[in-house]
Amino acid sequence: MIQEPGPRPTEIALERGLAERLELRVGDTVRLGAAPDSMTRLAVVAAIYEPRPDPAELSRQGKRVRMHLPDLAALLDAPDRVDRFGIGLAPGVTAESAAAALNRYAFGFRAHPSAAIASESSQTFKVVSRFHRAIGFITIVASAVFLLCIMLLKVEERRMDAAVMRFVGVRRRTIFGALVLEAALVSVLGSILGAGLAWLAGAATNSYYRRYFDTELIFSLITPRIVLFSVCLSLLLGLAAGALAAWRLVRTPPMVLWGRA
Amino acid sequence: MSPPLLVARELRKDYPMNGETVHALRGVSLSVQAGEYVAIAGPSGSGKSTLLQLTGGIDTPSGGSVELLGTRLESLGDRELTRLRLTRLGFVFQRFHLLPVLTARENVELPMAEAGVTAPRRRERARELLEYVGLRHREGHRATQLSGGEMQRVAIARALANRPAILLADEPTGELDAATGREILDLFRRLNRDGTTLLVVTHDERLAAEAGRIVHMLDGRIVAQDGSGPV
Amino acid sequence: MTGLGWGLRNLGRHPLRTALALAGIAVAAAMLLDMVMLSGGIEKSFSELLLARGYHIRITPKGTFPFDTEAAIPRATGLVRALRAEPGVRAAGAVLGTSVYGRTADSLVTLVGYGVQPEAQGLYLVTAGADLGPGDTLGVLLSEPAARLLHAGVGDTVALAGRLDPQMAQASTDRRLAVRGVVRWIYDSRGQPSVGTVLPVMQRLDGRAAADPASLLLVKATDDRSVATLAAHLRERFPELAVNSVADLVVEAKRRLVYFTQLSYVLGGMSLVVAVLLVGTLLTITVNERLGEIATLRAIGVGRGTIVRQVLAEGAALTVVGGGAGILLGLVTAEYLDAILTSFPGLPQAFSFFVPRANTLAVAAAVLLLTGSLAGLYPAWLASKAPIAATLRAEAT
Repeated sequence: MIQEPGPRPTEIALERGLAERLELRVGDTVRLGAAPDSMTRLAVVAAIYEPRPDPAELSRQGKRVRMHLPDLAALLDAPDRVDRFGIGLAPGVTAESAAAALNRYAFGFRAHPSAAIASESSQTFKVVSRFHRAIGFITIVASAVFLLCIMLLKVEERRMDAAVMRFVGVRRRTIFGALVLEAALVSVLGSILGAGLAWLAGAATNSYYRRYFDTELIFSLITPRIVLFSVCLSLLLGLAAGALAAWRLVRTPPMVLWGRA
Repeated sequence: MSPPLLVARELRKDYPMNGETVHALRGVSLSVQAGEYVAIAGPSGSGKSTLLQLTGGIDTPSGGSVELLGTRLESLGDRELTRLRLTRLGFVFQRFHLLPVLTARENVELPMAEAGVTAPRRRERARELLEYVGLRHREGHRATQLSGGEMQRVAIARALANRPAILLADEPTGELDAATGREILDLFRRLNRDGTTLLVVTHDERLAAEAGRIVHMLDGRIVAQDGSGPV
Repeated sequence: MTGLGWGLRNLGRHPLRTALALAGIAVAAAMLLDMVMLSGGIEKSFSELLLARGYHIRITPKGTFPFDTEAAIPRATGLVRALRAEPGVRAAGAVLGTSVYGRTADSLVTLVGYGVQPEAQGLYLVTAGADLGPGDTLGVLLSEPAARLLHAGVGDTVALAGRLDPQMAQASTDRRLAVRGVVRWIYDSRGQPSVGTVLPVMQRLDGRAAADPASLLLVKATDDRSVATLAAHLRERFPELAVNSVADLVVEAKRRLVYFTQLSYVLGGMSLVVAVLLVGTLLTITVNERLGEIATLRAIGVGRGTIVRQVLAEGAALTVVGGGAGILLGLVTAEYLDAILTSFPGLPQAFSFFVPRANTLAVAAAVLLLTGSLAGLYPAWLASKAPIAATLRAEAT
């Protein structure tokens, strides 16, 4: 970078990613301009900062530079012009009432409570959440069908055993209960194993996307509540599948099960 | 006298069961001439079915040899053995083993389809055979819609599909009541009278009595023989 | 009786079991189809959107993408003239995007304003009325939402204001314009109220007329096949600008939406695994149930090859029937999922994530059929290896 005599250089702060990309350190001097053919302003890197992890910024490829407001206004030749104000309120004043008061006389601007802005700007993630929920629902339906099919097959494989048990006097209730209990155990064990797999997949997802987007954000989070929900849902589906398969078995006459009727 | 169709020499069969060795056959020799009707009788576990399976090439002996139509079975690979069973042997089983999803006619056509017979030809032959066993009127019914006796008759028709040199039957009346068993008895008698060579394993005394020769087995050996013909 | 016919009949032996397996395969097939559509949909939809009016290249301020920032290209008119003089360029036009305000009876409403060069524009299709003429400084085009917001139609007059001064409580520029037509802005999001004027009028409303700015320059090549060469040449000629072909923009769009592409591969793979497991498990169990039957077939002379083909045919039959239902189901779920994703704020209304095409359906069907059939390999091998005598002995007891 060139150091020339002239006006006092502007001080800027660089995002860490930008500093790394341009191989800049604190104290280095750079040229700034509003357009590629007007890079006339000198600036000194006064600081390098780590941006706060923000999901809304994930796909942004451009990096940011911070400077004092008058410096930027001068650079853009747009003095006394800003995109937004931030307003701190006195104790006891709500954001909604303040915004309403400002908007009564607003011309050329609009006041929004910060919470409303947050809600608006998180619309993207609400869409992604809805998409995930839809995929999750489809997956649950597929899993339920698969589980029912497997339970039916497993129970039908044991029809001869069931026939013999009925012949020797074991009650329908006992056979039914045994099969349902087995289904429940398989479901619970399977879902615990699934939770383990999900944790591993989540760790891999976080590792990959953190590296890919150069961020500390958490992309996948397995909470105890999620695990509990999964186990309970799986248990419910397993009980339903097992009960249906077992009911079909016990209501079939033993001779039919035996294959002689 | 023409050479025998089937010659079994000193057949032995051992197989493991629950950690021990079961000697199912202990040196059995048997020959069957063309046109014969031979019954193999004996109590359960005497080795009758094992003998049938070895002579039919379904199983391989632990010792001894089987010669079928001049060919030693142990010299054949699986593909040749399968082909032999398809074209030169017919099998009838105790439990019929028809394919439940096929109709009676389709079950009879099955071996012919495997042998490469064209569809019109095999359809015609299947109908002839069903006519022969008295079930032409049931050709379009699925196996599950037939009675036990009807299924066995269809199974016999299937076994005759490729004009086998020998028909091997393992307890063909084992699953049938007395009246139905008599129908099968009559059919076997007619088959033999029409020139089919039969080798039948049976508990059924009436079926055995129809045979020209009865071979008695006990503990994996032939212990006696009634009727004419070589052992 | 073909192997497939036999296979289909065998599936009818246990209707409930088969129905459940088919349902499972259908759901897996639907998911697979959706993911195949998603993996290619973003690229396909975006390409179609960008090429809607036949413009192959977009030129923007250095380091930016179209309408990504408020940065503008100065001296746009001269640049357009230079572009039009290029041998490989069939048409070129400038676009300025900005915020303007429409006056209704009692308030000001915020609108998206586009300044265009009507003789070379790639942003809209006229749906009612007429287009602007090249020098029409008194006309304006409205989107449907803008027309509703301003309570105006073709032939009406609307008042547009720019550069609102909060302290003076007035607009620095005001124009009354006649509505020439109602248009569909190709890149607008759902419900976006947009207005369009000729470029100089919008530059004046924006307050930067002196700089002659444009947000974007559109270039149409004389030959589709020479787009890459033309883009490279323009990059060299205008190093202070960002020159992006449709292919470059699609790459950027895919980068921004990489999560969905990756998700589509993962979920598509999982769907295949589910289908394979379902078919494989069902066939394995049914083969085990029918070992006696299989042993009999082998005993009467049916070869191993026939047995294997029959089991594979059963797997294929399951996959064909279940997959067929799944394709139909997948088209329905794709619409549902697309409706979710296209509600992303700011996404062009015409954009689609799930794009059903004949070749995507064919790819999904082929992959499913292949894997479903291969799922029968293990049970088929099991069936062919069944020892005849031992199985018949076991059946007899």
